[in-house]
Amino acid sequence: MGIKTTAYPAKPELAAGVSPGLPVGGEYPESAIASLIERCPTGVFNERDGSIVADYRRCVHCYRCVRGVEQPVNWQQTYEWGSFPDGQHEFAQPFHRSIHILVVDAGDCGACLNEVRQLNNPYYNMHRLGFFITPTPRHADVLLVVGTVTDHMRFALKKIYDAMPTPKRVIAVGACALSGGVFAESFVCSKGVSEVMPVDVEVPGNPPPPLAILHGLLVAVGRNAPMPFDSPGKGATTLPASAPVVAGASRGLK
Amino acid sequence: MNREQLKQEVERRWPGQAQCRLSAADAKCEVECARPVLAELCGRLFLEWDFSFASLVVEEGKSEWHLRYIFYGGPGAGWVHVLVTAPLAEKTVPSVVKFVHAVDWQEREVEDLFGLKFEGHPRLGDFILHDDAWQEGVEPMRHGFDAQAIMRHRKPAADWRPHRIVEEPGAFVMPVGPKYSGVTEPAHFLLETVGEDVIRATPRLFYKWRAMEKLAEGKMVDEVLLLAERFAAVTAFSHGLAFCQAVEAVCGVKLSARARTLRVFLAELERLRQHAGAIQEICESTALVVANSQAGILEEDLLRISGELTNHRYLLGLLAPGGLMCDLPDAACQKAVKQAQAVLGGLNALERSLRVSSSFLDRLEEVGYVALRNATVYGLLGPVARASGLSRDLRRAQPYLGYDHFQFDVPSEREGDGYARLRVLFAEARQSVRIMEQAVAALAPGGVREPFQPRAGCALGWVEAPRGATFHWVRLDEDGKVARYRVVTPSFANWHGFHLAVEKFAFQDFPIMLSTFDLSVAESDR
Amino acid sequence: MTTLWLELFFALCGLGIVVSLIISPSRQGTWLAWVGCLAAIALILAGATVLLGGTRLHCSLWSLPSLAATLTLRIDGLSAAFLCITGLVLFPASIYAGNQLVSQPARHDGRVFAVLLLGLYASIGLVFAAGDVVLFLLAWEVMSILCYLLIVCARERANGHAASGYLLLAMGEAGTLASALAFLLLGVGAGSLEFGAIKAGAPTLGAGIRWAVFLLSLFGFGVKAGLVPVNSWLPRAYLAAPRAFVPVLAGATLNLGLYGILRVNADLLPPTSAVPGLVVLVIGTLSALLGILYATTDNDLKLMLAHSSIENVGIIVAGFGAGMVFVATNHPALAAIAFLAGLYHLINHSLYKTLLFFGVGTVELQSGTRDMDQLGGLIKWMPLTALAFLAGTLGIAALPPFNGFVSEWLTLQTMLRSAELSSTAAKIVFALCGAGLALTAALAVTCFVKVFAMSFLGMRRLDEERQVTEPRTGTLVPMFILAALCLSFGVLPTYVIPALDPAVRPLAGGSATAELVPPFFASHPAHPELPAAFAGEFHDLGAQVGQDILPGHGLVVLHRGGKENPVVFAMSTSYTLVVLALLLVLTYVVIRLWLTRKRQLARRTRWDGGLRRLLPEMTYTATGFSNPVRVIFDAVFRPTTVEDTRETVAEHFRTAIRREKERVHLVDRLVFQPTRAAALGFARCLAAMHHGRINAYITYALLTLLIVWIVFSLVPAS
Repeated sequence: MGIKTTAYPAKPELAAGVSPGLPVGGEYPESAIASLIERCPTGVFNERDGSIVADYRRCVHCYRCVRGVEQPVNWQQTYEWGSFPDGQHEFAQPFHRSIHILVVDAGDCGACLNEVRQLNNPYYNMHRLGFFITPTPRHADVLLVVGTVTDHMRFALKKIYDAMPTPKRVIAVGACALSGGVFAESFVCSKGVSEVMPVDVEVPGNPPPPLAILHGLLVAVGRNAPMPFDSPGKGATTLPASAPVVAGASRGLK
Repeated sequence: MNREQLKQEVERRWPGQAQCRLSAADAKCEVECARPVLAELCGRLFLEWDFSFASLVVEEGKSEWHLRYIFYGGPGAGWVHVLVTAPLAEKTVPSVVKFVHAVDWQEREVEDLFGLKFEGHPRLGDFILHDDAWQEGVEPMRHGFDAQAIMRHRKPAADWRPHRIVEEPGAFVMPVGPKYSGVTEPAHFLLETVGEDVIRATPRLFYKWRAMEKLAEGKMVDEVLLLAERFAAVTAFSHGLAFCQAVEAVCGVKLSARARTLRVFLAELERLRQHAGAIQEICESTALVVANSQAGILEEDLLRISGELTNHRYLLGLLAPGGLMCDLPDAACQKAVKQAQAVLGGLNALERSLRVSSSFLDRLEEVGYVALRNATVYGLLGPVARASGLSRDLRRAQPYLGYDHFQFDVPSEREGDGYARLRVLFAEARQSVRIMEQAVAALAPGGVREPFQPRAGCALGWVEAPRGATFHWVRLDEDGKVARYRVVTPSFANWHGFHLAVEKFAFQDFPIMLSTFDLSVAESDR
Repeated sequence: MTTLWLELFFALCGLGIVVSLIISPSRQGTWLAWVGCLAAIALILAGATVLLGGTRLHCSLWSLPSLAATLTLRIDGLSAAFLCITGLVLFPASIYAGNQLVSQPARHDGRVFAVLLLGLYASIGLVFAAGDVVLFLLAWEVMSILCYLLIVCARERANGHAASGYLLLAMGEAGTLASALAFLLLGVGAGSLEFGAIKAGAPTLGAGIRWAVFLLSLFGFGVKAGLVPVNSWLPRAYLAAPRAFVPVLAGATLNLGLYGILRVNADLLPPTSAVPGLVVLVIGTLSALLGILYATTDNDLKLMLAHSSIENVGIIVAGFGAGMVFVATNHPALAAIAFLAGLYHLINHSLYKTLLFFGVGTVELQSGTRDMDQLGGLIKWMPLTALAFLAGTLGIAALPPFNGFVSEWLTLQTMLRSAELSSTAAKIVFALCGAGLALTAALAVTCFVKVFAMSFLGMRRLDEERQVTEPRTGTLVPMFILAALCLSFGVLPTYVIPALDPAVRPLAGGSATAELVPPFFASHPAHPELPAAFAGEFHDLGAQVGQDILPGHGLVVLHRGGKENPVVFAMSTSYTLVVLALLLVLTYVVIRLWLTRKRQLARRTRWDGGLRRLLPEMTYTATGFSNPVRVIFDAVFRPTTVEDTRETVAEHFRTAIRREKERVHLVDRLVFQPTRAAALGFARCLAAMHHGRINAYITYALLTLLIVWIVFSLVPAS
């Protein structure tokens, strides 16, 4: 079979189908701005100084900004999406050596959890980077939370966070964990993990692909730089244009 | 028994108390039934006349409760909707659970969310709204529900104790979860034991209850489609498809041939990928690392095939009421089929290796046995039911999207143990590729999206999802907004019967049995 | 001096009885405690003067010409050892019993209890001090009856029936009968009923009489000791006995049976063939195994301790059996070690069993239940009781540096010494019994981990309203006395062994001190006899540490062998304790002063999977903990299913699964019940004759006359 494991983070991963990509903010014509802002069901796009600013935390990958529109948004087939929440901060010290991750599902649809599970398959093999899954919070360095925090899981999540010894870092994965996703308005869901505990690293996407989660983990241990979010595609690795994300629509407006 | 015979039988047995209305367009027989004969009627449908139970839909009218029990049979029998009304103030309806045990959890759900009590149901309460998290009288699905007020004044019961069945000196309840070891969904299990064997397992679910049905009320169709795809996004396409079919049935939309074929293609691609994932979980639970890695490679391959074809690994963002949001080029579909055939070769090789791995089989054979009788009575669905010999597949029984023009088998086994379920998964994966090949060959040129105009009405959309049959019932109001959205998922039905497999086994077998059932908490909790 | 102390002892007992009859019930407890303590001290001193002083007592009291016997008192090393240990047990037991009478006046009839208990003290002392058969049997009978009365008259109504006490009496009488027969056979063979004369006349007895005496005495005293298969009375009697009496029953009266076995089979009639010793060894191992199996799987604290007593008696008797084998095969050194191991274990058992019964009584009083499935978490409310109980638990589980470790270790080492026997059959028996005892030791750890953890640790299962507090100081003091003794007897074996040597030497023919405690201290007069090279090696290891401060031989228990095998086995609990203490202190210092300097210490809640509330019913019960043992040894337990029902409602809702099993003790099933059935059957057959018909009775009379006439006519007139 050969070696299936991706060379990431040493080299960018160029295979097809590894990431759904994200919309790109930037300069767009007036009419496009208004229609994009109206078209997005979760309010990803905002206008600032005549250009679009995208809040990726809200993107639920409905593709309505690229499919079936006359003026589709630009698309980046990237996957390095780990970033710090608003308010830049850097970690006082990196986590050396290997870390133990506790994965908690606090109301996830199953897709983010499935992508986390793929991290253990030979394609991604997170063990080679020193990431291990632990079953108990007492041994955990990093808490990885997926899902909007449902009412029933709130207490358990707090208990888990309290049971972890310091130093600990929290990484929230997925649109639901960052903004509540499509369930934000539900009376038993929260608008993100940050309502319950301080979040150190955010990984947007619905679901973020395993490479994005890996990037988020690398940011959490201080090995990789986070992606700055309001600049279009800066520092991101792009994939070949063969991916038919926008079959029937043009790519780019400029 | 076909619909005409059913009508005659019903009107003969309960004259004046049950009236049938046949509708040829959607193969439906609506039976308006009086409360006193409800239980007997449903019992006969379920136990004697070979109908399966699909869904209980409860709607709150202005002055009445409207209950709808949906049953389905084979191709000739079609759908039977048993309609019952009760005055709003009374809040009780006779329970049919004595005859149709598959209704058990649906009645409990209704009681928790609506406050409507079912007389004769032995165990209402502490289901979705955990007693140690909510006080009595919270009825979130009622129209006048004030979420703010309830959330501000929470008074859970301070003396909640686990429901215990085993009365033996020294018996205790071993709690597992909600967070238990591994990358797992939150579910709480109460395992009653005297030390070695599990005598009784009671799952306590709904830690992931997001009140999706409530959230959907009052929203436009395309907003609810987002919910339908994303409440259980691992099988997003199937659920989105069921919702779209329901809405299209309400609005009388006829899909183009290309849209139908592409939908079949994508649904089978999802089934193939989900089954590979289930096989990977089974190998992981038995700690057979090599098989786990090989199955993991195959699952990731399929995810990448999906991502390359549609840009999203879980096929999100493709469905729209009236067809698909964008077309997929024929060449891309053919390439995807070739890649899927390669993956199928890998799956077949994996199955051959597993068949001779005695340490692996030891952990699956005769473990987690579900008898055919129990599967029927509990209304189990999908590969789990087919492994016990209960093989009713919606693609055959009530074909949709033109499945009756495709050639495929519905595999089933008789042993009902973990190994049988694994064999069914492999066999269904093979059939999925077979259908995909036929679909690609049958792709006709044309558009993929028909114009869609919402109008008032109600209809059921059904899909044989990878885990089993799923039923989405939608009522649209005059503005085209969703008035009621009722979802019954295969995991909901299978969780109900899970405890049958677990009894009398040691603790160590528990994760393995869980993985062979391929259950999703997200799908069940909604 | 010995006579003085002995007279003081009997005088105190008598005084105590007289005064108890006079004073008011409210002051019975205090009086009993004082008199009991003083009497116990007198007893200890009486034994100590013989053991340590080297004197022996031998005096005649009265002569009974009609029985051709002279009542004599005779205290040699063996009796003295038993007197000492009884005194050590009766001292805290009297304080405890007194406290029980004071704190629970309504339950006990204090006067009756005090009188009977003091009478029991006197009779026990008399049994050990008896020098001839008649006095022995007299004292034995009085002791049996007093035990029965104490159980029956002063019992708490919740505990079993008077039938349990009656069973004790009945089986005890059968045992007494057997031992009386044994003694009489000995007396007939020797021509006198006095122990000294019997011992002198022993070598002349034939093999048949030897075997008869051996079997009868083993049966007779085995009943009192609680050996399998005559132990049916023990669990029932312990269950029925009142809280204040059970410690004495377990700690003092059990030793009487063991004294009897030793006295007859090792002292008066030493064995000449290895077979009796092997029989005793096997019976001991079986008792130990069965006892611990039932103890591990039982949830009633008192019953569990009763079965554990059977186990410990089994171990003691196994040691004695090994000793008898070594005596018969002419290995005096090994016999000394074996008898010492048995005797040491006897002492240890008395100490920690009494302590454990104190603890169990306290727990029962405070919590109202003895069922471990309903206890838990008591350490928060009774920390001192828990601490003392822990000392007893560690002792009985044979964990160093407590006393149980020393004696079990010595017993197991004795089993290994079978390598020096010549007979292969004996070696095989020793090997199997050694394995059995090792299994027993392992199960004992399981059992007592369960006991301590389920009663004191974990979550509290009792009702919130029930007030559980530390008992009175008067109850805590005896517990701590015994805990301290447990620790001392574990840490100072090199002082106990020389003290017990006078008891062991006459039985074995070899000196235990010489075999087990080499003189590593340079200040000890026997030090020069130790080969210099040998001593030098051990000095390098530190065997002489403490020689300036401590008297005695040394602190290392060591058995020397030949040239190829200079050290056969060695250990030192004294040094172990010091090392353990140092390690603990070091660990504490390292953590507190170094590792936590830069790090914080945080207290968080226990991790339970994210539950909203962890309830006591979600934690392991005692039944669950011991379930693996129950399942593995199912062939021994053979439980019968009493109930196995499933209730269903609405066709498919399982509302209840009821299962209950009942089990009958193996010995009851195989020995006691068949015997009882046979006896009842026989009686029923005989009862068929008593049907009340006058005609039949006249027929019986005529038949009898006929038979008598025939017999007399056949007997020649002379």
